[in-house]
Amino acid sequence: MSIDPLTVRDRLLEATYVCVTRYGIAKTTVEDVVKQSGISRATIYRHFPGGRDELLRETVAWELGRYFTELADFVAGATDLADLLERGLVHARQSIRRHEVLRKMLDTEPERLLPLLSTESQRTLPFIAAFLHPYLQREADAGRLRPGVDIDTAADYLARGILSLIGSPGRWDFDDPTQVKDLVQTELLGGISRVKQSGC
Amino acid sequence: MSHVMLHQDILPARILDGLLTCVGRVGLAKTTLDDVAREAGCSRATLYRHFPGKQPLLLAAVARDADRVTADVVAAADATDTLADAAGAVVTTGSSALAGHRALVFVLMVEPEALLPYMSFERGDALLANAAARIAPAFARFLPADRALRLAEWLVRMSISYLCSPEENVLFDDARVRTLVEDFVLPGLTQGVHQ
Repeated sequence: MSIDPLTVRDRLLEATYVCVTRYGIAKTTVEDVVKQSGISRATIYRHFPGGRDELLRETVAWELGRYFTELADFVAGATDLADLLERGLVHARQSIRRHEVLRKMLDTEPERLLPLLSTESQRTLPFIAAFLHPYLQREADAGRLRPGVDIDTAADYLARGILSLIGSPGRWDFDDPTQVKDLVQTELLGGISRVKQSGC
Repeated sequence: MSHVMLHQDILPARILDGLLTCVGRVGLAKTTLDDVAREAGCSRATLYRHFPGKQPLLLAAVARDADRVTADVVAAADATDTLADAAGAVVTTGSSALAGHRALVFVLMVEPEALLPYMSFERGDALLANAAARIAPAFARFLPADRALRLAEWLVRMSISYLCSPEENVLFDDARVRTLVEDFVLPGLTQGVHQ
């Protein structure tokens, strides 16, 4: 029986993930992953020539990918872009606290996770922007965007704002729906969505 | 070799400069206090009298340069006539100062783990609040205090985001900074505000 190399990779990442939840990052070794996955040390090094460090880094990236995929599923039923951003931000902040492995990394080895949110954000930014793109297109089709807004630029802008807010909420309290609404309408969508008619 | 009497107030600044020169050259981890003392032209004992260790020295250097950068940013904004120009000046001046800071760039590129914990999560919140409070006065002429703070925080977030993705040259392209500021950031934050 031949095994698809992608599958071996996924099995190794999954096994590493299990080891990290069980032993923590600092204590997870390649031997633990061998035992957990049933895959030989030689095969592990063939897929991850950088060994333990690469395996852990890729597991973090994989887990972060799953985090955003789960976030995308959660907001899939949103009625419009503003609703999507509000629900997404609240859920993102709550679930980064719940996500066991990500949280462990924040607590014990933040240096492994943080580059993915900042200096290596080129891995995460396009993912968020690509997810937002069809929602922006739908807003544009419905005539709800300001005239002249470029959808690609808007998606990139929103992705940067969202990633920054997930990393550091700053002045914002994501448990307060009024604040979240204000943030979405003002900082995020102020230049993107058409202004709703008001009295002044 | 001629010995120059160093003024009491100048030596600490020379030591801080010495630290940043060393860090810009070999990074934070490899910089020793001996290197810094040599660079500053003082003895290790003298250095210790001013800064009792590497960490206090580093914190003093960060505090001094944060003061400098934010003062330059506010001065650049004060020299403009419109809110859009002030906001643009904040982004371009701040970004050039940070991108031109050799020690900062070295650490961010080569040993990000030393720096990133100060930029994210709870400590990131403190950094944002601190930077926003220093920069907000640049917008006091145009916006109510709370809007000025919000604008400052948002511009700091956007600048950090672009600075951390080095393939982007947005911050050094005046037309793109204008697009960012005028088309995306300001419309929301100036809503309902009479300028």
